[in-house]
Amino acid sequence: MRTYAPAQTEAVLRTILEDEPSLARGVTHHAVIPARDAEWRELPEWLDPRIRSGLAARGIERLYAHQAEAIEAVRAGRDVVVVTPTASGKTLCYALPALQAIAEDPAARALFLFPTKALGQDQTAEIAELSVAAALAISAATYDGDTPAPIRSAIRSAGQIVVSNPDMLHSAILPHHTKWFQLFEQLRVIVIDELHTYRGVFGSHVANVIRRLLRLCAHYGSKPIIVCCSATIANPLELATMLTGRDPILVDRNGAPAGERHVLLVEPPLTHAATGARGSNLTLAHRWAMPFLRAGRQTVIFGRSRVAVEIMLSTLREALRQDLGPRSRVRGYRGGYLPTERRSIEKGLREGEILGVVATNALELGVDIGRLDVSVLAGYPGSVAATWQQIGRAGRRGGTSVAVLVASAAPVDRYVVHHPEFLLGGQAEEARLDPDNLHVLIAHLRCATFELPFEPGEVFGPAVADDLLAFIAESGHIRQAEDGRWYWSSENFPASEVSLRTAAPENVVIIDTTPDRPRVLGEVDLFSAQVLVHERAIYMHESVQYYVDRLEWHERKAYVHRVDVDHYTYANRAVTLKPLDVFAESPAPGGRRVHGEVMVASLVTLFKKLKFGTDENVGWGPIDLPELELQTTAYWLTAERLAGAWRRNDLDVALMGAGRAIQTVASVLLMGDPHDLGLVTQVRSPHHEAPTIYLYEATPGGIGLSSRLWDRHVELIEAATALIRDCGCDGGCPACTGPRLEPDVDARGLALRLLAELDGPLPEIPDADAVTPPAPVEVVHA
Amino acid sequence: MSGATLDRRLANYRAAIRSSTGANPDRGPGDRVDGGVARGSIELGERLAAALDGELILDPGGPVVRVEPATVVLPIDRDRLTDLPGLPPPDAPLVCLDTETTGLATASGTVAFLVGLGWWEGDRFRQVQLLLPDHPAERGLLGRLAAQIPPEAWLVTYNGRGFDWPLLVARYRMARLPAPEHAGHLDLLPFVRRVFRHRMTDARLQTVETELLGTVRHGDVDGWQIPGLYLDFLRGGEAWPLIDVVRHNREDVRSLARLLCRIDADYADQSARHAQPLGDLAGLARAFGRVGRLDDALGCLDAALAPGRTGTAESAREEPLPYDATADGAPDDRGLPWWHPRQPADVGGRAPRPSWARIVTGRLDSPWTAERVTIERGRLLRRMGRHDEAVATWLELAAGPGAVAIQAWIEVAKLREHRLHDLAGARDATTRASGLAERRRRLGMGDPLVERTIAGRLERLRRRLIAAEPAQAATRSTAIATEPPPPRQRVASP
Repeated sequence: MRTYAPAQTEAVLRTILEDEPSLARGVTHHAVIPARDAEWRELPEWLDPRIRSGLAARGIERLYAHQAEAIEAVRAGRDVVVVTPTASGKTLCYALPALQAIAEDPAARALFLFPTKALGQDQTAEIAELSVAAALAISAATYDGDTPAPIRSAIRSAGQIVVSNPDMLHSAILPHHTKWFQLFEQLRVIVIDELHTYRGVFGSHVANVIRRLLRLCAHYGSKPIIVCCSATIANPLELATMLTGRDPILVDRNGAPAGERHVLLVEPPLTHAATGARGSNLTLAHRWAMPFLRAGRQTVIFGRSRVAVEIMLSTLREALRQDLGPRSRVRGYRGGYLPTERRSIEKGLREGEILGVVATNALELGVDIGRLDVSVLAGYPGSVAATWQQIGRAGRRGGTSVAVLVASAAPVDRYVVHHPEFLLGGQAEEARLDPDNLHVLIAHLRCATFELPFEPGEVFGPAVADDLLAFIAESGHIRQAEDGRWYWSSENFPASEVSLRTAAPENVVIIDTTPDRPRVLGEVDLFSAQVLVHERAIYMHESVQYYVDRLEWHERKAYVHRVDVDHYTYANRAVTLKPLDVFAESPAPGGRRVHGEVMVASLVTLFKKLKFGTDENVGWGPIDLPELELQTTAYWLTAERLAGAWRRNDLDVALMGAGRAIQTVASVLLMGDPHDLGLVTQVRSPHHEAPTIYLYEATPGGIGLSSRLWDRHVELIEAATALIRDCGCDGGCPACTGPRLEPDVDARGLALRLLAELDGPLPEIPDADAVTPPAPVEVVHA
Repeated sequence: MSGATLDRRLANYRAAIRSSTGANPDRGPGDRVDGGVARGSIELGERLAAALDGELILDPGGPVVRVEPATVVLPIDRDRLTDLPGLPPPDAPLVCLDTETTGLATASGTVAFLVGLGWWEGDRFRQVQLLLPDHPAERGLLGRLAAQIPPEAWLVTYNGRGFDWPLLVARYRMARLPAPEHAGHLDLLPFVRRVFRHRMTDARLQTVETELLGTVRHGDVDGWQIPGLYLDFLRGGEAWPLIDVVRHNREDVRSLARLLCRIDADYADQSARHAQPLGDLAGLARAFGRVGRLDDALGCLDAALAPGRTGTAESAREEPLPYDATADGAPDDRGLPWWHPRQPADVGGRAPRPSWARIVTGRLDSPWTAERVTIERGRLLRRMGRHDEAVATWLELAAGPGAVAIQAWIEVAKLREHRLHDLAGARDATTRASGLAERRRRLGMGDPLVERTIAGRLERLRRRLIAAEPAQAATRSTAIATEPPPPRQRVASP
């Protein structure tokens, strides 16, 4: 197909599906989402006339239904969670209440939190425009790491809308609250945008930062309303409740109009049936983008990494050059580009000057680029929410838009394109966090004590804090004085010891000694460091090889230099797992399902050198590193009925295969990274004396994933069965049961046999929650 | 997670820690951990007062320990002192203030546990130190402190604008009390930086004592140890280690007073001032310049450049680099590591010459030379609108060696073009600069940026000259540029 003439999106799509079998063949699902009309509401009576005229100046005479609902709820003093798709005007949902509050009382303040700096800066500009249009002299300012010192003090004393991020709130605003007293005394509205990004470890930390924020607000006598905005996830209300500790109401009726949208799920062709290998998703993504670009349709292509973006950009430009296409109108967009460059690309997209853009998820959140015709996703972005954010970049009100999701080789991707109902049908995916993770909670209790002494009997999070404070006091950083209060009594600055983005505070720094001035290459957590940067390892960074000369374990430093060799190293990690406590347990088909606390010990003893391409073993070496222990929560399932009925070797393979599939499915359902969950299988667990599959959380203390897995046990088994059953491979492949170790063993068949034994509804129990954990320890207060 | 699960998790967590370290003895929840029994503020205060030879005051806000060190005689002439830029009016009471804190962050968890105050009663300098016996007693300390600061007083501190006072304001805010009113705040750190920094290794108060006031402390406690000493006491430790802390604070406050007396004696009086080292005068000139007292500034610079004064330009030229603190010129490496990121290792060879940029921008710790002072003078004269004299000053530099001459010619060109409206003269000056730059380029010391600026300037002047040809011919002569620059004596006396 060589169409250079401009054509309608729909026509191009039809041509591809009818005349381009090599592309059409890969489509596993084609859904058409019909157009939807706008649902309007009048501007509420109580809205300040200046804001009203400001809106009119920007062409807004009415509100969408969800906008009106949200601001009315805030007006009524309720916290709100607004769930809206991309570009449905959610800014107004929180900007209007804030502007109204300030219009009524210029002393009022609002705090807007965005997960990233770039988003915050974009939104500041938008809110400033709105307040200018409304002729309200409102000072909206970004307070982040880039804010120059002289401006900081002005924002502290006079910023009516302060735009920041959770990291800044944690380390700069809360510990210095006395300098921010005007903000805390008059805080009326807190906005938490992109709520769905606050999950996992980060979310657990942020929930505690919010607890600290609200604690200080109470000290200064303010009672702010919290407005959260989220992309589409299954449990926005629950997430908001966990994150804020409040009881918000949900606004999810989208009143914004939308045009017709085609969503295509695409899989690269199978190239090797025995191993299950498939063609490159990058190549396929750019082949899907080409016809649309040639027809003059604005197209965005999302890659999952910076490297992927650069590869696709150069192949796309090359292809367009050969075909005399609009080469110069295709641009790249990713983190690392200069802000001015980014702004000019955004502007070019809005004005139609730029035809195509290849981007990372930097373009996924908030940034205003107008609405395009086509979006092509090279790889599943990791969550349904992110997928819809990226798909939502295409979608004009009047016309038709197309979204193409091209699966990569990862198991999760394969699952998604073969289960369209997961992406299109419903809200299967939930965001999890656990604000009461002990490690996280204790870290923030320390920060909170620093900020304000704790009263005896004061509640922080789930319970009265005294017990935990007494525990922290054992280390000497806080003390209880005669008045019963707990005071910070250390010269340390606790907020600097806590990073919101990681659970384990300790990282190993990798230092490249190749250049004259050694430079820091990156960081890895302790657990990964043992297998990645042990001495004599080959460490890969941005596809460059480095040889690890020295690992100073106690200094947490690894010294590496560049090499160019034909092999890589693979370290064997011996993981042993010991259950410590059982929180919940019940019978399940074939055995039991359990949720509890475990101790995972990991010992790395030797590494192998493997040749690229052939994976031939060309040598080995010992590793002398201390054993690492991880105390965390886990979900596990046992198969008592199977014990004795299977050959031991078969059972081993089946448990591993089924475990891998469950691990994959679990990370899909819980919006996590596959690395968030570790897998251990035991043919005969010492604890249960039965075959057992453990999924433990890689975060110390866990972040609530395992209890949800326990709840969704039946779903997990079903989905894992489907994943393996629908895989096109012969006897197991990396996309279903994991890499095949012995070619003649049918891992796929064995795993399916095992899962069939475990499949089925949970046995009826008179009272669903009758599985009582052991009697809770009495809470003793000081 | 419910509270019950949290308790179980905590129990497991404790158990795990105990088994892995074997350290933490079993404690029931809620047990007091600081040495068994929490000591009351009063008991702590009594112990503190006994160890420090102080008095325990039972303020309703909480007990405070008050220590009154011996009074010293430090005469000061406030009428004379007020003549200097930024110094308080003669009738405002001065309160010298210094705090000791539980940490370096001025954030909400840092407490000022010791506040030292000092004020003049005639020639006598009186001091009082207020100590906090325990966290809950803070309102008492803050109340007592407020009572010591009259609203018409000026605070005198060292880095107090950046640290001590904001910290105290934060403490008042935490206690929901108003911070004490005061009429002004004299932070001596900026003054010391501006006037003395060029001849000191750093600008710490201890360095001021040794290098400026000529006093040395023996057995002094290091600043970083202080929070630990106090926190140990709160956790049930002994009170006597705080004796050193109290003495340290007393000396800090006293040094503030001594420094002020020194400034008063040697810099407030004009005749005394003019005998001070060249660099001090140059710094003082900047201080005057900042508050718009340009005549005083010029007076300082002229005094600095005056021929025949003790410690004149000749010796000042020899002025050592900032890290050469000793008189004999050998680098003083006592207390300095052999290598420091800010200071290249001494590997012999020729000392590095300060670059032109460094001379002109004049970082506070870079040495003042007669050359730099003359540059300063040229700029000041321009600022005062005395353009002819400014030109003369620059011409004086233009006769000198090196890259400075190039810049001097450029400055002359700027003045002639924009202020004196002498385009031909400006062109001649630029041509001279161009010639010098060309010579340096041939010697391999060229600066492309400077050369480009000169070329651009020449081109613009050429165009302007053509445009203004008929008018220009009649007006000024270009004699000044071609004459050799006049010797300094002629321009120095206005």
